[in-house]
Amino acid sequence: MNAAESAIEAAGLGRDYGSTPALRALDLSVPRGAMVGILGPNGAGKTTAMLLLATLLAPSRGVARVFGHDTSRERAAVRRRLGLVFQEPSVDGLLTPRENLRFAAGLMGLGGAVARAAVEDALTRTGLVEQASRPARQLSGGWRRLTDIARATVHRPDLLILDEPTVGLDPEHRDRMWSLLDAERRDRGVTILFSTHYLAEAETCDRVLMLARGEVVAADAPSALMAGVGDQVVEVEGPDADLAAAALQRAATVRMSIRTERGYRLGVVGAHDGIGAVLGAAPRVTRLDVRRATLEDVYFAKTLPRDVTMPRHAPDGRST
Amino acid sequence: MSALAAIHAIVVRDLARSFRQKSRIVGGLARPFMWLLLVGSGYNAISRVDGAVSYQAYVFPGVVVMSALFGGMLTAIATVYDREFGMLRLMLSSPAGIPTLLTGRAIAATAVGAFQGGVVLACAPLLVPVTATELGAAALVLVLAAAVSSVLGLLVAAPLQSIENFAGIVNVVLFPLLFLSGALYPTKQLPVWLRLVAELNPVSYAVDLMRGALGQPVEFTVARSLGALVAATAAAFVAATLLFDPERRLRRKERGRR
Repeated sequence: MNAAESAIEAAGLGRDYGSTPALRALDLSVPRGAMVGILGPNGAGKTTAMLLLATLLAPSRGVARVFGHDTSRERAAVRRRLGLVFQEPSVDGLLTPRENLRFAAGLMGLGGAVARAAVEDALTRTGLVEQASRPARQLSGGWRRLTDIARATVHRPDLLILDEPTVGLDPEHRDRMWSLLDAERRDRGVTILFSTHYLAEAETCDRVLMLARGEVVAADAPSALMAGVGDQVVEVEGPDADLAAAALQRAATVRMSIRTERGYRLGVVGAHDGIGAVLGAAPRVTRLDVRRATLEDVYFAKTLPRDVTMPRHAPDGRST
Repeated sequence: MSALAAIHAIVVRDLARSFRQKSRIVGGLARPFMWLLLVGSGYNAISRVDGAVSYQAYVFPGVVVMSALFGGMLTAIATVYDREFGMLRLMLSSPAGIPTLLTGRAIAATAVGAFQGGVVLACAPLLVPVTATELGAAALVLVLAAAVSSVLGLLVAAPLQSIENFAGIVNVVLFPLLFLSGALYPTKQLPVWLRLVAELNPVSYAVDLMRGALGQPVEFTVARSLGALVAATAAAFVAATLLFDPERRLRRKERGRR
């Protein structure tokens, strides 16, 4: 893909903090209008990657271009086309949402009637009109986060970078936020790069990037990543879980094997033939589930260090 | 044009924030009047300064500058709140650039300082003999005093990471700047080393200019005072610009860890 067609091109992009590499070497190519999810445990390098692409950090190595502009040397040109949402809302509680948006529009260089029109448009798009004149500190966390999204889109950027935008949102506000972002993509072809710990949110992405310990451990379309784990995922629990796992490995092709607190999570190809063998070989299996693979399976398969037992609670709160 | 839009946005926001925090404004206005009416009245009874003017009359120019100093500097130092609550990162991520952002903030802080000092100055005819021309000149000096205070405030805020340092900064920075400026007593009788410190203090020149504008005897020439204030403002602005660069801060922190 040539640079003119790309929203983001990064090659060997890395950043150290002192002697600690926060991000080792990121290679990334994001076409215009694509949605890319960055997943990984805390400390994996997600925020560092996004801050580097957003020009807020200088790389220790490598290079990145956003819409053809070098993120180190053409910061202002990149920033003009960029909307940023940080982990914590950047909303001034003493100002109303309308005033917050006017402030943001001014920072992006919009003034006068153009700024006023952009602000009213953003308020309408985000459904904030009724809340627009109340001090932001009186708004719920959900409305404050939507104010943040409106703030990031007020200048109609071509690229949105969002760092865990749905943390702490109730399902209604989360749904509203994704509808807004979908509309930005559909109507204006905005490119979206976001990080999240809610893995289901990344399943609709064009591409998922998984980071662990500062390294890219997986990068592909979600369907391809899930297919890589296996046709199906078998979860076995109970005193005979070890026997069941061994039997399944003999009867089917196992592409993923994760030790859980009570047993195993196995990604298999051709599992149906092996289920009978599992039950025959391991009578004391208390739970046996066969289901389709999810991004959560990929997440644990790719990000857990070897010999580490999968935690009982998955990132999106579902019990394993 | 886009820089002007950014400066305008910052000024509007900072002024809205300042005037919505009513207790801060009331406190800022109460401080000089308490000094003039309570401390000034008390000292009137025991002291006469420079040509036998009353202490209240002597201290009036200094109190006007004190209002500008506290108003301008504290508004600028409030940048540390923005750092703590994420607004500074939002500003730094805009295409405006650090000098533009600091210019906006300095203008807003200057306006707040000039407003607070202006309220005191407007009461001058009630407390000291003053002509309209002197009042006009004093207003110009007030703006200059507020401007230097604001930029010094930005310089103080630049390395601060959290609002926990805020009260300490008032004691460690604001009070020494005030006490060693000749605002409250003549610095001529101070020990030599403190007199030298006072001569390095930019607020001394703002106080001296204000004295001259209001018809009182001065220590420095107008050119020297103006030169010192302009130089201090420019130097503090450049230093603040360098210190606000997040990359530079990070590199400093990394060097500290090694």
